[in-house]
Formats: sequence, structure tokens, C-alpha cells
Amino acid sequence: MIEISHVTKTFNGQRVLDDVSLTIKDGEIFVILGESGAGKSVLLKHMVGLLKPDRGQIRLDQRDVTPLTEKEWLALRKTMGYLFQEGALYDFMNVFENIAFPLEEHTSLTHEQITKKVRDILQLIGLQGVEQKYPAELSGGMKKRVALARAIILDSRILFCDEPTSGLDPIRSRDISDLIRNVTRKLHCTTIITSHDIANSFRIADRLVIIKDGKVAALGTQAELKVSPDQFIQAFIG
Amino acid sequence: MNDVIRRSVHYLAAVGDSLYFLGSVFGHIVRGRVRFVEVVKQVYEQGVQSISIIALTSLASGVVLALQGYVALTRFGAKDAIAPLVALSLVREMSPVFTALIFSGKAGARITAELGTMNVSDQMLATRTMGVDPVEFLVVPRLLACLIVLPILTLISELIGIAGGYLVAVYEANIPGVFYLNQTLKVIHYVDFFSGFIKVFFFAVLIGWICCYQGFVTNGGSLGVGKFTTKAVAYSYIFVIISNTILTKIILTFWG
Repeated sequence: MIEISHVTKTFNGQRVLDDVSLTIKDGEIFVILGESGAGKSVLLKHMVGLLKPDRGQIRLDQRDVTPLTEKEWLALRKTMGYLFQEGALYDFMNVFENIAFPLEEHTSLTHEQITKKVRDILQLIGLQGVEQKYPAELSGGMKKRVALARAIILDSRILFCDEPTSGLDPIRSRDISDLIRNVTRKLHCTTIITSHDIANSFRIADRLVIIKDGKVAALGTQAELKVSPDQFIQAFIG
Repeated sequence: MNDVIRRSVHYLAAVGDSLYFLGSVFGHIVRGRVRFVEVVKQVYEQGVQSISIIALTSLASGVVLALQGYVALTRFGAKDAIAPLVALSLVREMSPVFTALIFSGKAGARITAELGTMNVSDQMLATRTMGVDPVEFLVVPRLLACLIVLPILTLISELIGIAGGYLVAVYEANIPGVFYLNQTLKVIHYVDFFSGFIKVFFFAVLIGWICCYQGFVTNGGSLGVGKFTTKAVAYSYIFVIISNTILTKIILTFWG
């Protein structure tokens, strides 16, 4: 369970997160919605320790992780996966090496075991025969799939996805959203997604939060958001 | 006035941050957190990338030095002194400095551009999210490779420069080749190599530090990569030249 309590963050005098409090339950798909610049990615980066709040507290499984040092975060992040908006695959590694990287870093598996695990995960994400290709040779959708494979290769307990459907056409967006849902159910992990893709978010989310100007504007299930009397919420979700 | 204070504070903060960065890199090395496979890869890439231009520059330097030396020394009836002139100039001063400057323009620029691109495309952040320390994985191997490659390139530069001087001495000044080589070997003492290589190691740390740091703090997309790479090369040039002046004075004071 992830508990965010009164988190505030300011960059260059501009308050990006303003007293944000919410709880994410184990095993759920939780989507953070909001306009561009609303503070979605900043909130996600706080949960994975890439940013520290100016005020407030973040707890992972009852443990206060706010004061952790970068060294302690490095250890903790082995249990997490993070899918970046553009994939953030290493340019100088091919697909196989990119996916195998966390295994080589954090496990003592043999080369044969790593090869098998990489092949299995490529099958799971529906990409085969691309092991030797470099990121520059892949389409946007393929890059995201490979990045997702790398994010979950260590059987992550928490999966963070930053705008997983941005830059993709509607069909690929739907595919990647379904894939994230399937992976979450299969791994029994908690998945937190930032997005402004309303349709796909509603399709896969268990609960959603809408962030407006750094504050929580609405929090609940799809059904709860749809009956919200707030004009902004109705305008946002269409 | 406020602007001056703000800029000064900003500059001091950047200096402090870069010193902390260097301390962190050496902290990793001292604790043995070094990835030898990555170091070997970097040694290969930095060495291969720089060797041809360094060889060409060194050959030209040796030839020009010998040609100019021949003209000047002949006026004093001392053309036999071409070998000591070429050898000492190259070993003590020219090869270490020229090699460092070329290395910073080639390998240094590559380091900043690579790390900078990784930074603006979130690969550096991705490294952290995978529980891997980017300093250990990306910076330490590059800086250690600088420490290995630059002395080797300097040695190669010295040999090729001396060979260039040999060509002029033998074919232009009609000095016997054996005499030239004997003179060269006789005139170079260990202290000459030593003084040159003290500088080289210092330059290697400077270039590795500046270029890795600039890559590590790059922001602003592809424009930022260009800006920080240019800055890294310019800073490397300036600091190599300034530190060379200071080191030369110190070395001459203590060892002559």
C-alpha cells in the first residue's frame, strides 16, 4: 500500500504539488489523470524517490520512505518497475541486453536462465524475433513494450507507468493499455499510471485521481467520477 | 548588484556540486565499485576514436619542430642539437598538452554528448529506477578510461613526434639516423618523462571530471546536449592550459 500524506513540492517558486493526499491499495490499477503540467509525473517521481517532497510524507507498506537516502532508494527500487514516457531504453544496448540488464545487475542467474526469462517475457508482451534489434530500429509502440518488459523482468511489486499511451495511435494505445492490465493481473502487482488518455484509463483503472493545479480534484472509481457534480471533472472526462 | 550576487552564488554552487561529484566518483573507485568490463569498453572507444588524429598531429608537430629547429640552430652552428630540441620539447611539453587538448575535443566531447543524451532521454533516470547507481555504471568507467588512455596516447604521440623529427633530421639536415637516435636517448632522462606524465595524469582527471560532470547535468533536450558539450570542451581547454602553466612552474621549481 502506498500512502501519500500532504505532499507539497515547489519548483522555482511555482507550487507543482499542493497538499496532495491519497492512498493506493495493493494490487490495484490506479490512474493519475490531469492536464499537461498538472503535476502527474512529479507525483509519480515522488513515489519512486526520484524527487523528495518539500513537505509531507510518503509511506510504502507502512514504512516512511520520505527520508531515505539515494543508496537506500536504489535498494528499494529493485522491487519496482518504471515505464518511462519515451521508453528510456539504452541506445547502446539491443533489445535482449536492455531487458536482461536488471537481471544481470540484481540476480545471480546464469546466461541460459537469463535468455529463457527474456524470451518468456518477450512472448508475454507479444514481441518475438526482435532481440538483436537496437531501440533506434523499433517503432514507438515496440519501444514501449520492450520498456515494459524491462520494467517487469524482476517481477516488480509496484509498476509505475508514465504516460504509457502518449504518442501512440488509438489501436496501439489500446494494446499497450490492455498489456499493462494483463501484466498487472498476472504479476499481482500494484500499477500506478499517469495519463491524459481518458478512454483507456477508464477501461483499465480500478480507481482514478484527477489532479488540477497540483491538488486532488477528484478521487474514486470510474462510476464515482462520472457522477461528480464538479464542472471541471465533467468537462475533463467528457 | 543583486544580479552579480545571484550569479556568484550560482557559480559557487555549481563548483561545489562538481567537486562533490568528483568526490563521489573517487569514493566509488576507492571502495572498489568499478566495472572492469565497462572500463575496457571505454578504453577501446576513447583510444580508437582519438588515435588517428593524435598520430597525425604528433607527426606534424615533430616535423615542424625539427624544421624550425634546423633553421634556427644552423644559424648558431648547432644543427646537431635538433634531436635534443625535438625530444625534450615533445616529452616535457608538447605531447602531453597537445594530446590532452585533442583528447578533450574528441573523447571528451563524446563523453559529454553520450551522458547528456542519456540524461535528456531519461536513460539516466531509468538507471536509477532499476536500482543501479549511474555514477558507478556510467561515470566511473569513463573517468578511469581517461586515466588509462591519455598516458598511452601521450606515449604514442611522443614516439611519432620523435619519428617526425627523425625524418627531417635525416632527409633534410643530413644528420645520420643513428646519431639522431643516440642523441635522443641520451638527452631524455626519467625526470623528463616523469614531469610530462604528472601533467598527463592531472589532465586526464580534469578532462574526465569536466566532461562527465557536464554530461551528468545536461538539460534542455538536443539543444542542451550541444550547449553542454561545447561548454565541456571549452572548460577542458581552459583548465588544461591554465593547469599546464602552473604545473610547469611547480615541476621546474622542484625537479628542474
